[in-house]
Amino acid sequence: MTTSLLATDYSRPIQPLFEQGPRAGTIHSVFRKAVNIVTSDDTMLAVLSNELPRMPNSVRLTPIMAEKLLRHLQPGLEIWIGDGRLLILAHDLAIHLPETSAWEPRPEITAYHWGHETVAQHVRLLAYHLAEQQHRGGFAPLLEPLLLGQPAAETPLSLMALPMLRLLAQASWLQDIAGVEEAARRLAGLGPGLTPAGDDALAGFAAVMKLLSPQLSVDSASRDHIAVAIASVARPRTTALSAVLLAHAARGEVAEQVGDFLLSLALPVEASKAVLHAADRVLAFGSSSGGDTLLGMLLGLRALDGEIDKGGYYGHTGAAQAKYVL
Amino acid sequence: MVIRALLKRNTYYDSITLMSVAQAGKDLPGVEDAGAVMATEVNLELLQNAGLLPVAFLAEQQAPPGPEDLLIVVSAADESHAQAALAIAEERLNSRGDRATPVGATTLPARSLEMALQRDETANLAVISVAGEHAWLEAEQALSHGLHVFLFSDNVPVEQEQRLKALALSKGLLLMGPDCGTAIINGTGLGFSNVVNRGSIGIAGASGTGMQQIICLIAAAGLGISHAIGTGGRDLSEAIGGVMMRSGLELLANDAQTEVVVLVSKPPAERVAHEILAAAQLDKPVVVVFLGAASERFATVAGKAHLERTLTGGAELAVSLAGGDRTRVPGESTLHKDESRLAAEHTKLAPSQRYIRAFYSGGTLCDEVMLLISEQAGAVASNIPLRPEWALAAGETFRGHTALDLGSDEFTRGRPHPMIDPTLRLQYLTRAAEDPETAVILLDIILGFCAHQNPAAVYAPAISQARARAAAAERSLPVIVSLCGTEGDPQRLSMQRKALEAAGALVYESNEMAARAALSLVSKAASGVIH
Repeated sequence: MTTSLLATDYSRPIQPLFEQGPRAGTIHSVFRKAVNIVTSDDTMLAVLSNELPRMPNSVRLTPIMAEKLLRHLQPGLEIWIGDGRLLILAHDLAIHLPETSAWEPRPEITAYHWGHETVAQHVRLLAYHLAEQQHRGGFAPLLEPLLLGQPAAETPLSLMALPMLRLLAQASWLQDIAGVEEAARRLAGLGPGLTPAGDDALAGFAAVMKLLSPQLSVDSASRDHIAVAIASVARPRTTALSAVLLAHAARGEVAEQVGDFLLSLALPVEASKAVLHAADRVLAFGSSSGGDTLLGMLLGLRALDGEIDKGGYYGHTGAAQAKYVL
Repeated sequence: MVIRALLKRNTYYDSITLMSVAQAGKDLPGVEDAGAVMATEVNLELLQNAGLLPVAFLAEQQAPPGPEDLLIVVSAADESHAQAALAIAEERLNSRGDRATPVGATTLPARSLEMALQRDETANLAVISVAGEHAWLEAEQALSHGLHVFLFSDNVPVEQEQRLKALALSKGLLLMGPDCGTAIINGTGLGFSNVVNRGSIGIAGASGTGMQQIICLIAAAGLGISHAIGTGGRDLSEAIGGVMMRSGLELLANDAQTEVVVLVSKPPAERVAHEILAAAQLDKPVVVVFLGAASERFATVAGKAHLERTLTGGAELAVSLAGGDRTRVPGESTLHKDESRLAAEHTKLAPSQRYIRAFYSGGTLCDEVMLLISEQAGAVASNIPLRPEWALAAGETFRGHTALDLGSDEFTRGRPHPMIDPTLRLQYLTRAAEDPETAVILLDIILGFCAHQNPAAVYAPAISQARARAAAAERSLPVIVSLCGTEGDPQRLSMQRKALEAAGALVYESNEMAARAALSLVSKAASGVIH
C-alpha cells in the first residue's frame, strides 16, 4: 500500500505537473533538506523541508517528514508525477498537494508604488552593506569595483567575470541583445557552487529586468526580452538546476526571500532597516548563492538607473574586452 | 608541481560542501591550490586561467566532462601530496552526512533519533510515538541503528508493519507494535504501564490493556513480572503471522528470570494460532489466553500449553504455576463478597431497566466484557461488535446491551484517549443514566503511567450524581467499575478504590468479575451468574 505524504505548500508553476497525466522522472540530486527531481521533459521540481524558503519550483514538506524521507532517496531513483501525486516507486511513497491555494512566486510588483530615487538610495545603502559582509565567496569581491567604484583585485575569476558583468549591465541599458547574449554566454556556469556564481548573478539580474524594468527604467522601457535572452543563452551552458532557476527568473518567478527583498525596495527611505533585513535573508541562502543573486539584482537596478554611461562605477580592468567595457 | 583531478559524473553537492572541500585541500601542506567546481565550459577556462586545468586527466576521459559533472582539482608539490589532498576531498564529500551536533544544550530534547544516539550511544531501544503515516520511517531508521522499537503509533499500514517486522526479525530485534500501548522491559515500563515488582512471570501480548489486566492481577497476588513484551494488536492476524509473538516467546523462553510465560491475544487467525501453540512447547510452563476462545477449539494442538479463555483465568493459572497462591488473585472471591449488595441492587431495578451499558477505554477489556455478556445475555451492540449484525448504526447510542470502546479511532480522532481525558465518557455516562432501560453502567478505569492522574476525582462525583438522579426518579442505578492498577501506581489503587466505592460504585480489579457482577443484575435470578 502506498504511503501518502501531504505537502504543506507548493509553488504555482509546478501545479500543472501534478494535474497532467502521469509522466516519468528521476531523482536528480539529494541534499539534507531538499531533493531535486527532473522529469522527462527536463522540468525540475524541488521537494524541500519547509525550514527552507519557498522556491519557484518547490513542494515543501514538514521538517520531520522531509528529513526522514530524503534520507531514503538516492539520485537516479525513478518517480512518476501526474494524476494528482508524485510517486516514488522504490519506497511506495506518494506526495500529494494540499487543498490550499498555490504559492505565487512572482511578487506582486504592481501592487506597490515605486519611487525611482527611493530605490536608488536603497541600492547605494545596500552596496555599502554588502561590502561590509565578512563572508566573501563567489562574486562578492566584485561588488566594490562594480557598485562602489573601487579597484578590483585581479584573480582568475574577477578577470573573467568583471568585464562580463559590466557588459551585461551596459548592454541591457542599451537594449543591445547581442551584448547581453555575449555576457550571459561568458557568465553562465562560471564560478564555484552547484548553481555557479555567474548563474546566480544572472538570475538576480534577469529577475530585475523582468519584474522592475517597467517601473524603474529611467527610459520607461520594459526589458522583458533581456531576461528571456539571458535564460535562453545560459540554458545549455550550465547545470540543469541553474538552467531551470534561470528560466523561472526570466518569467519573474523567484525564491521567497528574493521576492520579499524586491518588494522591500518599494519601502520609503526611512524603512531602510527593513530593506537591509530583507537583503540579509537573501544573503543567508546557500554558501555564496544569496550574495551572488543580490549582486545581480543590484547590478540590474543600476542598469535600469541609466547611470551606466555616466562613469564612476565602471573602472578599467586592464583586460581587453567587448566594446562596452570602459 | 603536479596537477591531479577527480571527476564525479552527475554528482551534486551543495555550495557549502564544495567550498569546504576546496578549502580543505588548500589548507593541506604541499598543496598550492585546489578547486571544486561543476565542469562547465567557462569553469574549465577558469581553471586554465588559474593554472589548474588537469589537461592530461581530461584527455584520459572517454567523454569530456560537462555541466552536470563535479571536477575536483589539486595543484600540489608532488604526487603524494596531490593524492593525499584528493583523498581528503573525497572523504569530505563522502562524510557530508556527518553533522557535528553541539551537545552543550543537553537540557533540550533530542529532535531526531540521530541526535538522541549521539547523546547516548548505549541506548538499545527506541520509543516511537509520531503520526502513523510517518512512524514507519522512524521505526525503520531505529531498526537500522540496531535498536529494538516500541512503536506506540497507530495507523501504520499493514504492509509497512510486515516490512518492519521482517527487518526486525532479520536483525534479531523486537518491533513492539504498531499501536503497542504497553510493555515492561527489564523493569522499565513503556507507554501505559503499571508499577510492579520484577518477578518470574513473563508476558508477550498482542493486547495492551489485556496485558495490563494480567500484570495487575499477578501483582495483586504478590508476584512480579520479568518482562512484558507487546507485539501490536495485529500481530496474530493472518497478514502478520504472529512474527513478534514468536520472537517474544523465544526471548522469554531463553530468559533465565522467566519461569512462567503468558501469551495473550484476542482470538488469532487459525493458522497463526496453531503456529504460536507449536512454538509454545517449552520446557517452562506457557499459559495461552486467546480471549474468549473455548479451550476445545485448540485442544488438539495445544500440547503442553495451558489454554485459558479469560484474562483473570490466565493470571490465576500463571500465579499458580509460578508457585504463588491463586486465591490471592482478586477473582471469584471478590464477587461472592458483594453477593448481597448485588442482590439488593437487583431488587430495586425498575421493570424497564434491562440492559448493561458499558463504556470502556481499553479495547481488549471491552472485548472480554462483550464475550462474557453475550454468552449469557445474547446480543451486545457495539462500535467494535463481536458480530457484524451487532454493530451500532450511525447516530445510534444504545441498543439493548451496549458496550462501547471509547479508545477506538472514531472516538479518539482529534481528542485524547479516554484513559487520559474522561470528558467523552462522562457524557455517555450521563446519557446512559438518563435512559430508563439502563440497568447497570459498567466502566473500566486504568491506572498507571500515562493514564489520568486521578480518575476517581473525576468519576466518583459523576457516579454519585448519576445515582442520586436515578434515586430521585425512584430507580436504582448500579455502577460497576473494572479498576485495573497496582498499589505502586502513581494514582494508588487503594485510594482510587476507596473514592469510587464512597460514590456508590462496585469496584472489581478483575474485568471478568466486573462483567459477571453486571450480568447478575440483568439476569432473571440475581444470583444466577455468580454461581
